[in-house]
Amino acid sequence: MRHLTQLRIGPIGFRIGSHWRRPLAALDDLYRDYPAPHDGIADFNVHLFAARPWRRVLRPSVHIAGDFVIPDAAPLPLAQGLLAAEMGMNLQMALGLRRFLLLHASMVERNGRAVLMTGISGAGKSTLAALLMARGWRLMGDEFALIDCATGLAHAFPRLVSLKNEAVDVVAQALPGARFGPLLEGTPKGAIRHLVPDACAIAAMDVPAEPSLILFPRFGFEAAARPVLPSEAFVRLTQSSTNYVSLAERGFDALTRLVQSVPARAIDYPDAETAIAMVEALA
Amino acid sequence: MLYRAADPATLRVVPLDALTLVYHRASGITHIVDAPVPEILAILAEGPRNVAGLLGVLVERFDLADPDPAALAVRLDELVGAGLVERTCAI
Amino acid sequence: MDDPKPEEQPTRRRALMLGAASAAAIVSIRPALAQTSASVMHCEIPVTDPGRAGSYIAPDGRVVPARTAGAFPAPGRSFKAQDVKRALNGGTLPGTDPQASRAYTNYIRRLQRGTSGFTCFASLQMPRG
Repeated sequence: MRHLTQLRIGPIGFRIGSHWRRPLAALDDLYRDYPAPHDGIADFNVHLFAARPWRRVLRPSVHIAGDFVIPDAAPLPLAQGLLAAEMGMNLQMALGLRRFLLLHASMVERNGRAVLMTGISGAGKSTLAALLMARGWRLMGDEFALIDCATGLAHAFPRLVSLKNEAVDVVAQALPGARFGPLLEGTPKGAIRHLVPDACAIAAMDVPAEPSLILFPRFGFEAAARPVLPSEAFVRLTQSSTNYVSLAERGFDALTRLVQSVPARAIDYPDAETAIAMVEALA
Repeated sequence: MLYRAADPATLRVVPLDALTLVYHRASGITHIVDAPVPEILAILAEGPRNVAGLLGVLVERFDLADPDPAALAVRLDELVGAGLVERTCAI
Repeated sequence: MDDPKPEEQPTRRRALMLGAASAAAIVSIRPALAQTSASVMHCEIPVTDPGRAGSYIAPDGRVVPARTAGAFPAPGRSFKAQDVKRALNGGTLPGTDPQASRAYTNYIRRLQRGTSGFTCFASLQMPRG
């Protein structure tokens, strides 16, 4: 591919090839403080390509592929190339990660102990993670939590935080000095802006933490909290893991150990401020 | 018609609070099971039984609220469907 | 991790229930992506979902009150994933004219979590949302 870049997020190195310079320039800029892959060797390849040679120029449309693909995935316009690169990296993690149990969760750390916030897209986990970062927590990730099957420790994947719609303003107010990527409008998930994790998150990306609390947050309800039993936590976490099944018995061991040793709570919250207070009280 | 449980060596059984987890090594599938499944699996691990025999053991070992062979047959069908139990014909 | 030892028999027998035929006692964890790839070809996206029947769809895909100028009546039916995929790549949804098709396609693009059809769309766009 004509244009190439490499970067490492936590333990995972990516090599991204593209028919266009623009999306890679955006990645290089926003990820400029991130390290290179360990030993210069990437774990995954991502390809951003045009379906036909003339589509590099005429109504340029970015198709996403790599070591792992979803066939016939809908392409994105070149203006959203940065989002395409992110989706490409997500795809490799979701389909190809075997070194860790992958949970769809945001994660923050304080004093060596990690709080995991799981939930489907739109539950608010990225926004909560960004706001907790603003309050001094170390951001470990906004989308994926990596659990080491052998040790049970949580490893960070501090990619650019993907904020949607109204959350962008809320977070920008809480983090006046932060770096943001360009505003991407009209994406499949609405308006998106990426937030660069702070220096603390980047510096500590290789430092694992012990999972100490699992939260199942729900946005838009009166404040409430209830304990979640290990059996319920187990089922809900399998739903939030893309690789639980392919890890076979290793995954079973890692997840059963997690739910038996880490308390879980479901929290409902009407607004971000309430959520932050609840998380800090429970952690 | 006898029911035989999967070889115990192929099952990892982890009881949690309300439910029990069963990882079946032969298939790689994780099952989340409710009572009376773990109890049935434990009895069948001792040796294959037919419905009547299994029901008898359950009644003997537990305070069974609904000792109905039809209900037990439904549970066994579920277990067969999940691959944790197989039907064999007595010869 | 050790498996639990065989239960010691309590002197008072533990209560047990066989349970109703309608209630399942076993839930098996299935691979999420295998589920989606099998169902992607068969899943359907309703336009619009039943809670908003009678609304119209503006050209940019927003759901608007009935008879808004420039908007198209919601077809009130579901489209197969195959057809949606084709439409997202520049085709036309079956049974619609090109402008209406563009509006419906934009509606489908704008589906947010909680509206029926989103899971099907998410499985087309990216893994597990």
